[in-house]
Amino acid sequence: MVDMDYIRPQDLAGALDFLAAHGPDTTLLAGGTDVMVDLRAGKLHSRYLLDISRLSEFRKIEACNGELTVGAGVTIAEIYASKTIARHAPALQKAAAAFASRPVRNVATIGGNVAHCSPCGDTIPPLLIHDARAVVVNPQGRRLVDVEQMADGPYHCTLRPDEIITGFILKVKPDEVEFVDFQKIGRRKALAIARISMAVMAQQQPDKSIGFIRFALGSCTPTPHRFRQIEEFLLGKVPDENLVWQAGRMLADDMLAITGRRPSALYKEPAIQGLFVRMMVALI
Amino acid sequence: MKTNTIVVCFTINGEKKELQIPAAISALELIRDVLELKGTKEGCGIGECGACTIVVDGKAVNACLMFAAQLDGCEVMTVEGLSPAEGLHPIQQAFVDRHAVQCGFCTPGILMSTQALLMETPHPDRQQIINAVAGNLCRCTGYQSILGAVEDAAAGGLKGKSRQKTF
Ligand SMILES: Cc1cc2nc3c(=O)[nH]c(=O)nc-3n(C[C@@H](O)[C@@H](O)[C@H](O)COP(=O)(O)OP(=O)(O)OC[C@H]3O[C@@H](n4cnc5c(N)ncnc54)[C@H](O)[C@@H]3O)c2cc1C
Ligand code: FES
Ligand code: FES
Repeated sequence: MVDMDYIRPQDLAGALDFLAAHGPDTTLLAGGTDVMVDLRAGKLHSRYLLDISRLSEFRKIEACNGELTVGAGVTIAEIYASKTIARHAPALQKAAAAFASRPVRNVATIGGNVAHCSPCGDTIPPLLIHDARAVVVNPQGRRLVDVEQMADGPYHCTLRPDEIITGFILKVKPDEVEFVDFQKIGRRKALAIARISMAVMAQQQPDKSIGFIRFALGSCTPTPHRFRQIEEFLLGKVPDENLVWQAGRMLADDMLAITGRRPSALYKEPAIQGLFVRMMVALI
Repeated sequence: MKTNTIVVCFTINGEKKELQIPAAISALELIRDVLELKGTKEGCGIGECGACTIVVDGKAVNACLMFAAQLDGCEVMTVEGLSPAEGLHPIQQAFVDRHAVQCGFCTPGILMSTQALLMETPHPDRQQIINAVAGNLCRCTGYQSILGAVEDAAAGGLKGKSRQKTF
């Protein structure tokens, strides 16, 4: 039996007091879908579990002045059901639809998904295309962390042990952007951890040239990334089949430049290009 | 070795409980080992099979992925709470009628996913049914009879009036 203490603070201030005293010995607990699996695998050795899942500060979804705030404690099921998210960050909603199973979606939170820093976190590519920043609080105050900088390697979070993410601030989808997509390839349809995931939003001018584009790739590199070279390459051009294949080729090359040629490249290289083309073909 | 304990208060299958339990056990351990309700099954223990599905505050969750401590203050339902004192619940009856039970290991979990679905969406379409049970693995049936049983249960309403047999 694991010997840990379970603590449920009344409010955020109580949580921060506890972390000020015991941060390094504490694991934060939200939905528990990663914590439980890690605990069972013998990967967790902290003395305390600090349950932040009921803190009301963490649960809001709100759009205001071009920014969408999603609380860290919002569950994947709540993301899927939210009209505000469907309108302002549709790729995030698409990612929620393809996430695990209903019972997991009912408890898994976006904060836990980002903080766990899995290369395959499905909410991360959609957050990246919205330039999302995490609101991070600690006993000294508050700071904003780019979601792209949250991990410095697989499963390695850059936050300090006395810090908590309270939510995420996204730039809302510009009104004129009509094309939004999230795609993932897993080993099977339900309950599959992504092997490749992509999020994109783009807008085309009346002459069909691309006036705005954001693209992020997950699962293929140690941490999910925006691929700004691809965005720059496509910006201002009129997409045809040739151009989309070329961009897909660039993406596969950029991915290999980061990871090196691992055995899985044999599969991932053509699969990335293929998935990219399948997604972008809508713009032709 | 000293074990850290906590007190949890919750309602399970309509009955109020206040228990002192080890702080870091799962909801599944609480249900099976402490309360000795063996209807909830343990398959994988890591959220992938759905055999441990229970309903907490109206939502299907995997008991193996939850700490028992997180049930504090919640309304919990396991498969034991589904059936009336005598006989079967309409969902259970639909599963029997449709031959949707073979070895039965997946059945309690699927019944709970179905219960949560029908509480939220009394008249689900087939895609909603598929989404609701996609986290429940069944190695025996091939799923078609299960989907049919859920459709029948929904058609009869949770009170189980006229159920159509279509096979
Ligand atoms: C069967 C199964 C299928 C899955 N399928 C998918 C999938 O398809 N796609 C996918 O992306 N993921 C998948 N996952 C993983 C996914 O469930 C988790 O990443 C989940 O989103 C984590 O959220 P949680 O609330 O459960 O976090 P927890 O498990 O409670 O916490 C996760 C980590 O984040 C930390 N943490 C939690 N909240 C905060 C916070 N507010 N501030 C700082 N740190 C915090 C915790 O300390 C812990 O280290 C799956 C998991 C399982 C078990
Ligand atoms: S035992 Fe919980 S999902 Fe398999
Ligand atoms: S009936 Fe045997 S696993 Fe479903």
